[in-house]
Amino acid sequence: MGKESKTIWDRLEDIPREVLYGILIVAFIIPMLFPFGFPVPISPEVQRWYDFIDKLPNGSAIMIDFGYSGGGEAELGPFAVAVYHHIFKRGGLKAIAMSTSNEGPLLFDKVIAEVNPSQYGKKYGVDYIHIGYIAGTETGMAGVGKDIRATTTTDYKGTPLDQCSIMNGINEAKDFSLLICYTTGGDQSEGWVRQWYTTYKTPYLCCPIAMMVPTMLPYQKAGQIVSLCSGAQSGQMELLVHVPGRGIKSADVITITHILCLALVVVGNIAYFGKKFSGGK
Amino acid sequence: MADFAMVVQIWFAALLTIWIYSIVFKDNVFFKFAEHTFVGAAAGHGIVMGVDNILRYGWAPFIGGNYIYIVVFVLGLLLYTRYHGNYFWLSRFPLAVLVGVGIGLSVRTDVSASFIAQIQSTAGMKVLGTDAWTAFSNLVFIIITLSVVYYFIFTFPKMHGGRLGIISTIAKYGMMAAFGYSFANTVLSRFNMIFGRFDYIMNTWLPLPYAMIALPVALILLIYVMIPAERRPWPKTQK
Repeated sequence: MGKESKTIWDRLEDIPREVLYGILIVAFIIPMLFPFGFPVPISPEVQRWYDFIDKLPNGSAIMIDFGYSGGGEAELGPFAVAVYHHIFKRGGLKAIAMSTSNEGPLLFDKVIAEVNPSQYGKKYGVDYIHIGYIAGTETGMAGVGKDIRATTTTDYKGTPLDQCSIMNGINEAKDFSLLICYTTGGDQSEGWVRQWYTTYKTPYLCCPIAMMVPTMLPYQKAGQIVSLCSGAQSGQMELLVHVPGRGIKSADVITITHILCLALVVVGNIAYFGKKFSGGK
Repeated sequence: MADFAMVVQIWFAALLTIWIYSIVFKDNVFFKFAEHTFVGAAAGHGIVMGVDNILRYGWAPFIGGNYIYIVVFVLGLLLYTRYHGNYFWLSRFPLAVLVGVGIGLSVRTDVSASFIAQIQSTAGMKVLGTDAWTAFSNLVFIIITLSVVYYFIFTFPKMHGGRLGIISTIAKYGMMAAFGYSFANTVLSRFNMIFGRFDYIMNTWLPLPYAMIALPVALILLIYVMIPAERRPWPKTQK
């Protein structure tokens, strides 16, 4: 049986996976070594997020859910870092974190190490805290919303909450002026709408990974979320906060790799139509 | 000491990253090692967090005098009866509690949060008395929403035939656009993840001493193990 010779269209349609990944790796590395400095315009969602925190009254408490897993760190970590910078720079706010993901406490540590709150004169237990991983996702959200101390009496290091001055007068969802959620899971992003926004009308800022944005958009459109930003927009937040970090570095890379993706889609289509018009199937 | 531990951690994280990504070229022993390490570490972490949860949210209140928590412990233990041939049915009780609480909590607000609010927001969209672009966007949104809802009415097949079929066609195009948007966002997420790991390798690992030497060595080794055993120059395999 003779082997049928491949046409140029066949070859274009069947570019080996290894070649595609090889090109992709090069597309990643070049802008990392030689940044192009593409402009990063601020989107209305990021601006709205920034403005909302900026306009919070002094003394406001913010609940921050580290509801993401390690896989989402690259995308959500830089956004969380930028927002913490904003909260600490702005001052007069209480940043109370919890985790609905069991990796959350570790990721909180990573974010705080990157932010270095001491540069703003902020102290753990006084200006910010993490009350631990609260299991049960929506059950946990509902529990914390109803009575924090009935759900947990210590922070994630085991220090009693009553020994942390930041927790004075903070008992339930009604004591919070804002809820922020970073998440890689729909249970968290939608759960907070159900358990806190709908029940207590707590204003909600949601930062999921980009692939979850289409699912969450209807909630923003219905006004249940003040602002919905994907972690991929962290570069914009860093620009607003004037603390350039990992987010802004990723902007060039993401642009170049997406152009590559578009180019490959075009190549695939050219191959498809080329094959069709040259009499192939 | 802490610094040394950090250096070891960075080296291990960087090498595991390279080994994990090597699967895109070919399956190999380094990938398998990294994969198994990840699964083991994730399982270990899950167990630690689970035990910590029991201690914090169950044991601590119990020894603090909140004896009602004995019910929770009993329910928790009953979950494990599923592994026993004769008493597996007992595990249904804690499962029923878990499912009941979960459904109860989500249903109490789900109708309002995911149904009524969405309908209200769509119904409240302005097509008149607003700027042309917003009016056009809103009109498209309303048409697509209604046609997609129509598309999923399966009870009366005739509703999708004849001239009414145009509604289903509009719905299909609308959904295709949504899937495309979703796919593009997925690509964005995945690329961000890859960037995160590359950034870690380039800016955290490579600046460390000897890392610049280790990188090519690691890559050469990877390529070597991807060569089929019988074609490797060394070690020679017996036929």
